Amino acid sequence: MMSNTRYKLHWVTAIISVLKTLKEMIIPLVVLVFANGLNDTGKWYLDYLTFIIFGLLIVTFLITGLIKWKRFVYWFEDEELRIEYGLFVKKKRYIPFDRIQSLDYTEGILHRPLNLVKVKVETAGGSASLKAEAELTAITKEEADRIEMEIAEAKKRRQSHLHTADEQPTELLEVEEKVQAKPVFSLAGKDLLILATTSGGIGLILSGAAIFVSQFADLLPLGWMYEEISGFIKYGFLLIALIIFLVLLVVWGISVAMTFFAYYGFTVMLENDDIVITRGLIEKKRATVPLNRVQSVRIVENPFRQLFGYANVVIDNAGGGLGEGAVINLFPLVKKKEIDGPLKEIFPDLITKDPSGKIPNRGKRHYYRIDYLWMLPAIAALTYFFFPYGLFSFLIIPVVVLFGLWQHRSAAYEIADNQLTLRFRRFSLQTAYMTKKRIQSIEMKQNYFHRKNSVATISARVKSGVGAFDAQVRHMEEKEAERILEWYEPSSSERKGEESGMV
Amino acid sequence: MREQPVNQISEKGLRVWRLYGIMQTVLILLLAIGTGVLVYIFDGPWWIYAIAAGAVLLYAYLFIYLFPKIKWLRWRYEVRESEIELQYGIFIVKRTLIPMVRVQHVDTSQGPILRKYNLAGISISTAATNHMIPALVMEEADELRSRISTLARVAEDDV
Repeated sequence: MMSNTRYKLHWVTAIISVLKTLKEMIIPLVVLVFANGLNDTGKWYLDYLTFIIFGLLIVTFLITGLIKWKRFVYWFEDEELRIEYGLFVKKKRYIPFDRIQSLDYTEGILHRPLNLVKVKVETAGGSASLKAEAELTAITKEEADRIEMEIAEAKKRRQSHLHTADEQPTELLEVEEKVQAKPVFSLAGKDLLILATTSGGIGLILSGAAIFVSQFADLLPLGWMYEEISGFIKYGFLLIALIIFLVLLVVWGISVAMTFFAYYGFTVMLENDDIVITRGLIEKKRATVPLNRVQSVRIVENPFRQLFGYANVVIDNAGGGLGEGAVINLFPLVKKKEIDGPLKEIFPDLITKDPSGKIPNRGKRHYYRIDYLWMLPAIAALTYFFFPYGLFSFLIIPVVVLFGLWQHRSAAYEIADNQLTLRFRRFSLQTAYMTKKRIQSIEMKQNYFHRKNSVATISARVKSGVGAFDAQVRHMEEKEAERILEWYEPSSSERKGEESGMV
Repeated sequence: MREQPVNQISEKGLRVWRLYGIMQTVLILLLAIGTGVLVYIFDGPWWIYAIAAGAVLLYAYLFIYLFPKIKWLRWRYEVRESEIELQYGIFIVKRTLIPMVRVQHVDTSQGPILRKYNLAGISISTAATNHMIPALVMEEADELRSRISTLARVAEDDV
């Protein structure tokens, strides 16, 4: 049943690779064209030199793209996905089916009319390499299905092999047989719009407004100093401010549109033991995260969205590289009240109760005291150098103190069974749910003032892509921090197990 | 109050840290001398000499005497059957707990100075984090490394 036919990618691959190279080259090319400009030297080949170079480059890219496509083959052999590729140097990559964690599909604009997909093969050894283990730029959907089938069959063969070896009942196998995709979550029209308008871009618009306002503030002393040209300067500044504002508005509009397209039709499905996420209008994406690769579940509430009762839920994935694959937006926007249902469907063991352990009042001042270290010199300097207006810098003190108090009030923690829940605010409020066996290490930190006050900071790290996510609850009760350490300590929980065993 | 981990860093480690401090101080001293020469040439005010000298002395006191001492007194570690516990830090005392099952690999490393004193550093890596015990007697480090790696071999979880 193992046929060693070698498969090729679709010819569109060549075009995609040319476009990709062009995209990377666009800035040097533009610089080249502008630097040379259009001058009339009388010799046509000098006048059009840039265009000739440009044309030659495109032709070269096209040829290399074609060769690369011609050279790229993949096949199945010995329970492995084997790939051979390379322009000058022939490279081979063999990926055992066992190691393949998931296949992620992307359909770009060029893929869709031809019914093609780009397939990314993610493996368990994601920590070493930043890139996906292998990428098939364009293959037909039937071919993608064939790969999936080969992998599934290989896994089944292995499993049945294992089962006969262990003489276990084949019950498990039959359960596996039924592939059912259960939709769990989808982003509806209104929520999608809210997501698009409040995502990231809002920061840009706010900073734009800040610049706008600050320009006006700066005008006051300036106008007094340069009376004669003040009118002109005023006009100039206003114009510049207006232009900046408009540019930011356009950028924001673009970011809204891009988010809208990227998250259009966002759905999360549960397929056997995999979370399958599909999204995208122009470029359709389908990502798969095996449940056992999920390291932590986090609810993130940005203050702006928190105001309207919205939050988003992300998961930390052990596979995947640095960027996209590591932190996955599971529910990009969801009403806080409605999180529980779908989340429980995916993670039935998760304890989603709000953490009840609060930070003692003693910990309060630690949230802002350290900030005086940089604030006081800064205020002193500002007051000294910009005498009357510099005094306004004193206003930063209440802002920082209030922010600290806000962080203090937001923070919470809870230990329940094998799960540690830490809630903390950097700017957005985050609630991280972590199971004991997914936490890589826990650290308890105390400075001199902490010790005097018997408070401590606790920090738990989980794997997230190739890096780590660090969940930190600061300035909590020392005893409670020690209790968390003890909960985490394998030998102390073993001791407890023995004691209760004896009773 | 939770007890401290039992083991301390070798006393030779303290000497090595002092040596690092001396080397850094020499650099600072050179900088200070450079400043002094410039001040002399350009006829700068006398108090710059005082500041330069003060800075060198303070640096020497902190990095040759005080910080290595605190660091050494603070550094504790303990390798138990099912976890590793570390305690360290000059201003902020950190206590780290690493379960054996999370340990993925252990390395010992040794620079020229550490080698001269027959010391080695040992670094413990989990899937997401790295932890370091900075200066152990060579034999102890080797023994610890093999012990951790045998203990950690029981790990079964797929991370």
